[in-house]
Amino acid sequence: MSDSQVIMKDETCSTANGKSGSMESTKQDAEVKPFTLKKWNIVAMWSWDVDCDTCAICRVQVMDACLRCQTENKQEECVVVWGECNHSFHNCCMSLWVKQNNRCPLCQQEWMVQRIGK
Amino acid sequence: MSTPARRRLMRDFRKLQEDPPAGVSGAPSENNIMIWNAVIFGPADTPFEDGTFKLMIEFTEEYPNKPPNVRFISKMFHPNVYADGGICLDILQNRWSPTYDVSAILTSIQSLLDEPNPNSPANSQAAQLYQENRREYEKKVAAICEQSWQNL
Ligand SMILES: [Zn+2]
Ligand SMILES: [Zn+2]
Ligand SMILES: [Zn+2]
Repeated sequence: MSDSQVIMKDETCSTANGKSGSMESTKQDAEVKPFTLKKWNIVAMWSWDVDCDTCAICRVQVMDACLRCQTENKQEECVVVWGECNHSFHNCCMSLWVKQNNRCPLCQQEWMVQRIGK
Repeated sequence: MSTPARRRLMRDFRKLQEDPPAGVSGAPSENNIMIWNAVIFGPADTPFEDGTFKLMIEFTEEYPNKPPNVRFISKMFHPNVYADGGICLDILQNRWSPTYDVSAILTSIQSLLDEPNPNSPANSQAAQLYQENRREYEKKVAAICEQSWQNL
């Protein structure tokens, strides 16, 4: 339940700035370089594919089973999880990610489950 | 054999074809979807303009929970690119997010070209020239841009 499992190869590595609408609001980013207007088109494109109906991790609609459950033929067991931040993912996709980093991959807030269901 | 990682990569590929970002392209290698070949065109109005740089991206079955390994195959002269082509970029290491896909990776690397971070040098000569002798830096960059054409 900590960041320690994430590969910390080089903490001082260069920072990608202005990539994602969701990244700019993180605490980490506050001390990083400001947004560059030049890349606005990228930001616009980014928000297109993380609309709220699609699981941003596996890119399947949250109402359908995730890629893992589709592969393992467990469609019935696949449920949706909503965080306190109101982002939703497949519970399967999210539970794998929080093992590495207990933050919402879209808004970087600490991940707290609000609700699990269909 | 179809696994979640492979299916995700098929989706990445479809998106890259349907909604191609400017100045980058990529596709899985013919017989292995886990290894991609990509090309980044140097952004206009930068010293990298007119360069055509080849990269190789290697994914594992843990994708997208783990970032892929990305490196330049074309010769590169950049403060944050190692001699073996490896790239020092936070989102490919400790700030990776499973919501990234191939187009996000490639567009991030493309913007790194003109926005190096000289404080974390992977190529100390490039970092030093970038800070102290911009003219000489741009000359070296122009040389690798030209080379990138010869090796296409
Ligand atoms: Zn999912
Ligand atoms: Zn599932
Ligand atoms: Zn969130």
